[in-house]
Amino acid sequence: MNRLKAALLPAGLILLALVGALAVMATGPLAVAPEALLAAVIGTGSPEAELALALRGPRLLAALTCGAALAGAGAGFQILFRNPLAAPDLLGVSSGAGLGAALALLLGAGAALVQGAAFAGGLAAGGLALACAALTRSGDGRLALILCGVVAGALASAGLGLVVIVAEPYSQLPSITYWLLGSFTRATLPEAVGAVVPVALGAGVLIWLGFRLDILSLGDEQARSLGLPARPLRLLALAAAALMTSSAVAVAGVVGWIGLLAPHAARLIVGERAGRLIPASMALGALFALLIDRLATAFGPAEVPVGLLSAAIGAPAFLILFVTTSRRS
Amino acid sequence: MSGLRLEGLVAGRGSFRLPPLDLTVAPGEVLALIGPNGVGKTTLLQTLAGLLPPLAGASVDTGAAAAYLPPPGAVSAGFSALHLTALGRARLRRWSPGLTPKDVDAARGALDRLEVGDLADRPFDRLSSGQQQLVLIARLFVQDAPVCLLDEPLALLDPAHAQAVEAAIRALAGEGRVVIASNHHLPFAARADRVLALGPDGMTVGVPAEALAPDRIRALFGVEVSGCPCCGQALS
Repeated sequence: MNRLKAALLPAGLILLALVGALAVMATGPLAVAPEALLAAVIGTGSPEAELALALRGPRLLAALTCGAALAGAGAGFQILFRNPLAAPDLLGVSSGAGLGAALALLLGAGAALVQGAAFAGGLAAGGLALACAALTRSGDGRLALILCGVVAGALASAGLGLVVIVAEPYSQLPSITYWLLGSFTRATLPEAVGAVVPVALGAGVLIWLGFRLDILSLGDEQARSLGLPARPLRLLALAAAALMTSSAVAVAGVVGWIGLLAPHAARLIVGERAGRLIPASMALGALFALLIDRLATAFGPAEVPVGLLSAAIGAPAFLILFVTTSRRS
Repeated sequence: MSGLRLEGLVAGRGSFRLPPLDLTVAPGEVLALIGPNGVGKTTLLQTLAGLLPPLAGASVDTGAAAAYLPPPGAVSAGFSALHLTALGRARLRRWSPGLTPKDVDAARGALDRLEVGDLADRPFDRLSSGQQQLVLIARLFVQDAPVCLLDEPLALLDPAHAQAVEAAIRALAGEGRVVIASNHHLPFAARADRVLALGPDGMTVGVPAEALAPDRIRALFGVEVSGCPCCGQALS
């Protein structure tokens, strides 16, 4: 009974995220019945439904994918490091992706190239952090990873600062700033679908790791004495989380707080076990991204950058969550 | 289960080296490891567990890998005691999609056996040190390693929990495992099958009556004891 209930909770959250997506798609300036939308998905819908799908579909998919990716990666990092403050940019991935995108914008690249540069920049920063940490010989590699992530992130931030100084203030700078603040609107359908693939791959790896992540959270010594190859598995988990983060930042820019907030909220509902926490976090992250994307368009024709909204809502929500949990225990 | 045979094993870390160790431990034997702080007990246990590479020599005849239990308080986990116990089966499930119901049943059985079955669904971090230690020993049963290496298993425990843990250690050995437990609690050493005394000048292995004689304890720790650390009577 207990086991069944525990398995149903993450499934219920995922269902909730999908229902939320349908609700967001069906409402707005052009209201379309949900069943008409579902018909449009399989190609037999009315013209209005197809229009709504074509207009709202890509950004909805981008929001769902990025929210789920950031939350899943955040949950993975929090488990691996046993640190409630670990976020998807722990390895410097977000800063690296920001630098990549800013460089591409500075050189006048098109949207697809900017996205590619962000993805590559994120993976490069994450790879740099992992490579530096591999050079150290500290017993439990977690502290080394955190420090090397700080180093990689700082280097990327310094580079970003340089790009911002060099950028043409009236044409390039606004586009760089706007990119960095995050948005789900710029994704076209192929780009959003293109992000789904690496995110699904990373999520698949983290979910497969499941109980192995639980063991890694006990530390290297425990993992090895329980018969697991600790270092390779941890590297696999970090690579998966970095891949998810890079994909999300490449599509949406730097959207903070989802990766910190969603895993904490999910932990309250499904507990600490990685096998449940990661899917539940991804569902809540997707829901949160849907919510802020809907709010982004709620204040008139000019969109509020989602990076601003996620911080404005995420930070106080995180505080409330933290205060209530600390009072409860 | 096959026991443990060591030939010229040198444990150490960096420039710190222990003297070479030749040792045979039979299945079902409980070997107490005593010695002053900082003398290298943990280093020796971790080397035997395969967590540190031996500087020379090797263990032979150990069969499968050894299980290592760190001192009380070293393991912290937010998930349930039952899940932590079931993780003991990780070696069997290294590449499987997940733990199976059989693993969970084995874990529940081990917890019940040590009379901590009622703690199964409690988060491990919320348990007392004594309860945590019993859960971790239940995991050793589930892990099914032929050699169990326990680092100060009785530290921090109240007398009742110490007694329960000692009984659990006996039960581990009773199923044919080799158990080596480091300890500062001399009565535990007195009830062990043999004692490995690790001092700055070398190591000796002997039955408790020899190894815990007042002159040996004085040489090892520089303190005076009279008689058996267990009952106070003269050691024969």
